[in-house]
Amino acid sequence: MMNRAKIGYIILFTCLALFPLVDNPRWLTVITTFCIYSVVALSVDIVLGRAGMFDMGHALFFGLGAYITAILNVHFGYNVLVAIPFVIIIPAIIAIVISSPIVHLRGDYLLVATVGMNIVFEQALKNNLFGLTGGPNGIFGVNAEVFGFFLDEPLPIYYIAFALLLFTLLIIRNLEKSKVGRALHYVQEDSLASESIGINARFYRVFAFSLGAAIAGLAGFVFSIQYAAVSPEAFNFMTSVIFFAIVLVGGKASIPGILAGTFIMFVLPEVFREFATARYFVFGFAMILSMILRPEGMFPAKYGKLPKYVTEEKA
Amino acid sequence: MDILLQQIVNGLTIGSIYALVALGYTMVYGVMKLINFAHGDLVALSAYIGLVFYTQMAAGGAMPQALTIVLVFLLTAIVVAIFGVLLERIAYRPLRNAPRLSAVVSALGASMMIQNGIMLVWGPNILIFPSDILPATSWNIYGVTITFVQAAMIIITIMLMLALTLFINFTKMGTAIRASAINQDAAKLMGINVNFIIIIIFVLGSMLGAVGGLFIGMYYRGISFNLGWTYGMSAFIAAILGGIGNIPGSMVGGYLLGLFTALIAGYVSSAWAEAFTYILLIMILIVRPTGILGERVAEKV
Repeated sequence: MMNRAKIGYIILFTCLALFPLVDNPRWLTVITTFCIYSVVALSVDIVLGRAGMFDMGHALFFGLGAYITAILNVHFGYNVLVAIPFVIIIPAIIAIVISSPIVHLRGDYLLVATVGMNIVFEQALKNNLFGLTGGPNGIFGVNAEVFGFFLDEPLPIYYIAFALLLFTLLIIRNLEKSKVGRALHYVQEDSLASESIGINARFYRVFAFSLGAAIAGLAGFVFSIQYAAVSPEAFNFMTSVIFFAIVLVGGKASIPGILAGTFIMFVLPEVFREFATARYFVFGFAMILSMILRPEGMFPAKYGKLPKYVTEEKA
Repeated sequence: MDILLQQIVNGLTIGSIYALVALGYTMVYGVMKLINFAHGDLVALSAYIGLVFYTQMAAGGAMPQALTIVLVFLLTAIVVAIFGVLLERIAYRPLRNAPRLSAVVSALGASMMIQNGIMLVWGPNILIFPSDILPATSWNIYGVTITFVQAAMIIITIMLMLALTLFINFTKMGTAIRASAINQDAAKLMGINVNFIIIIIFVLGSMLGAVGGLFIGMYYRGISFNLGWTYGMSAFIAAILGGIGNIPGSMVGGYLLGLFTALIAGYVSSAWAEAFTYILLIMILIVRPTGILGERVAEKV
């Protein structure tokens, strides 16, 4: 079983690495977007799938990374590379600050609070906060020249996005095998029981939020380079809703599921562009259908080392 | 002072819409523990259906205006109730025993479907309600203007809420609804048909939402296919503020939120009104994690 998954990953990564040979600029852009959005979806999964917190405002951290890059580059004239530490650290700190008072809320209430955070963020962007965010139109003209290379050309940006995806998968693999990953799993299963064996549930929940935020911020950095511009629409609350849906349609805590979910939600729409208007109607229907047929997601996670009573669904 | 009173009147008007829509969220949540994300889109749908009914009936010109309006409200409420029941049957009933999050995704899917269905049928542009549906009379009381529409909205909403409270508290069906909200299994053992109760809940919620949707059309006049998310989310916040699952709570929450939004828009800035609303919500959740009138839930071990 493990081997089949390994072979699957090797085939997928080889395909992705060799993809630029296709030499079709439009498809290269689409697959670059796929890599970036997969990273964001995986970061949502850390909070939603692994820590079990209903987070419907994750586009906030994605947007934070993108806007920090654009502000540092366009308003202050720094090289884009300078932004890298900031797009990781600032979203992580903001995640700690805003999640610590609310992580103990019961599921649906937490969901609404995170939706609220996202909408406050969106409105701050639209109202041109501190004169930096550029209002409803956003910020244009991110200059991604580094040592004479232009990172926003299709080929370099694709490899950057691909490298980011690999890096994220590495982090998640390490998370899964670490003490933190197991702690998160127990906190999700039963936070009271986990606290009684000495796991600090609040600490691990805030940790999941800030790790997810840091990864999403980094994805935002690549996103703002790819499009050389940022605007509030890309990070509104609808985007968060779609990421939330991807994780659940694909399967919580399941990497193949999330990659497949991102592919279906972001890449297939490109294929069916001619049906643009009816697209989301069909998607809505597909979401209902997929939940009815597979309530646990397309590829539910399989746990190798955990005892069976841990992974069984409670009635 | 005049501005304050005027904003209070405006706040009560918007609060009526929020309270009516919030009741739909709260009743479904009370019995099924599910956020019915598609409820806001049913409200949007009712504005469109109501507009169609009105234009059809007013075109004949044979009926007196008052009768037309009553018929429009009734027919819209019935049609939207049918949609509500269909929604439950298709998107929620198959998932009754599935993990809770699956039902949330199904609700989001249903919301997307209704919203884009409206766009496919009526187009993406804003439609305008005719201005002559209700008389354009307005009264000026001590410098505060109340239009006929506002007065009608506030009075009808209060009457509907009164009727609902009586229904829930003093009828056999209402008792069955309250029993199912406390414990579905125990309710089944007492011979209550929980499936039927859930259908009733969806019928009532959709009908109240339909009235809210028609009010949105008559008050703001312009309607667009995505208004469900805007008003739906606000009404949902109202429900959370009051304590979701708690019927008087949503009424209080609706009016409180309406007043708060109107005062922020009047005194601070309308561009930031939504942000302030959510900040208020988060503050209240931090202090009282289950809303203002929500009961404390003891965790079972």
